[in-house]
Amino acid sequence: MLRASSSAFEYGLDLDALRDPAIPTGVPGGNLLLRLVDAVLVRTEPLEPVHGGIIGELGPEALVDAASVFGNFEMMNRVAEVSGIPIPQQGIDRNQGLIDRLDIGGFVKH
Amino acid sequence: MFEFRGSPVSVRPDLRFAYTSLWGHFSRPGPTLDGQQRVALLTSVRDRAAEETARTVGIEHPLGLLADTLYHDPTTVDGDLVRSAADASGDPATVEVAALVSMLSSVDGTHRALGADLEPLPETSAGNPTGEIAEGLKRRRTHLPVPPGPIPVMFDLLPYEGAVYQGLFGPQYMTGWEMALDTFRRSPGLDRAQMELVSSRTSIHNECFY
Repeated sequence: MLRASSSAFEYGLDLDALRDPAIPTGVPGGNLLLRLVDAVLVRTEPLEPVHGGIIGELGPEALVDAASVFGNFEMMNRVAEVSGIPIPQQGIDRNQGLIDRLDIGGFVKH
Repeated sequence: MFEFRGSPVSVRPDLRFAYTSLWGHFSRPGPTLDGQQRVALLTSVRDRAAEETARTVGIEHPLGLLADTLYHDPTTVDGDLVRSAADASGDPATVEVAALVSMLSSVDGTHRALGADLEPLPETSAGNPTGEIAEGLKRRRTHLPVPPGPIPVMFDLLPYEGAVYQGLFGPQYMTGWEMALDTFRRSPGLDRAQMELVSSRTSIHNECFY
């Protein structure tokens, strides 16, 4: 979804930024959005400068959208964990390159 | 209600409406728990005390432990933890608690990301549990009985809880129809690619493969 949408908007997405937010994402305001998630979940920095950056670069509505998407995936991630929905082997095989690149092979739980 | 005190920006009405509706849903009887039990559980969960107060809420300790873990340490939730809860309290109660905690996490997550104070949980409404539980669902290599399908149907053992959960997607993220569009954008607001950066980074931190 990230790759498809970035392509649709003709952004030069660098997926490595998902693993290392210091790398430019290639998406407008993308690094600020990653910083917001990190600031909330890992407390890498105070929220205020990130909020100011997002509001300044993307607008106040963008900050609301980012927060609500974050909230939505806080929910969706928990639903996946508690339900134990299995990950199809086909999906793993098809995306093995991406899995290795982002180092998320350990997320496949049984 | 839902004034998002502390947020540097105003929050759009559809999101405030969705959350207000959800608070009403929390306050009313669910399939296995009444309104008082539901709100007491969520209050305890925020304080990481659901295991400790489980019996006073009317659930067993393993289900209280699942609730606390799901809210505070979701990366450590596994099949053993979920099945212990289900063995002690039954599948319907476990699904109801999982749904409540997951939905609370979304509202609280939005507040935290905005730097806003968490919304106080609602006053409760009277009434007995509804008993609305779907029949015929089985574990499909899953921790809980679910229908075949993706993450949005994971709570369909309890049809009304499932519908409320699915109703949050549109205001928080995208509706099902909108998800079919790679070029979806809110205007003003984020476009699809920007939204997926947020979703991806969140999922990486939560160690969720999906």
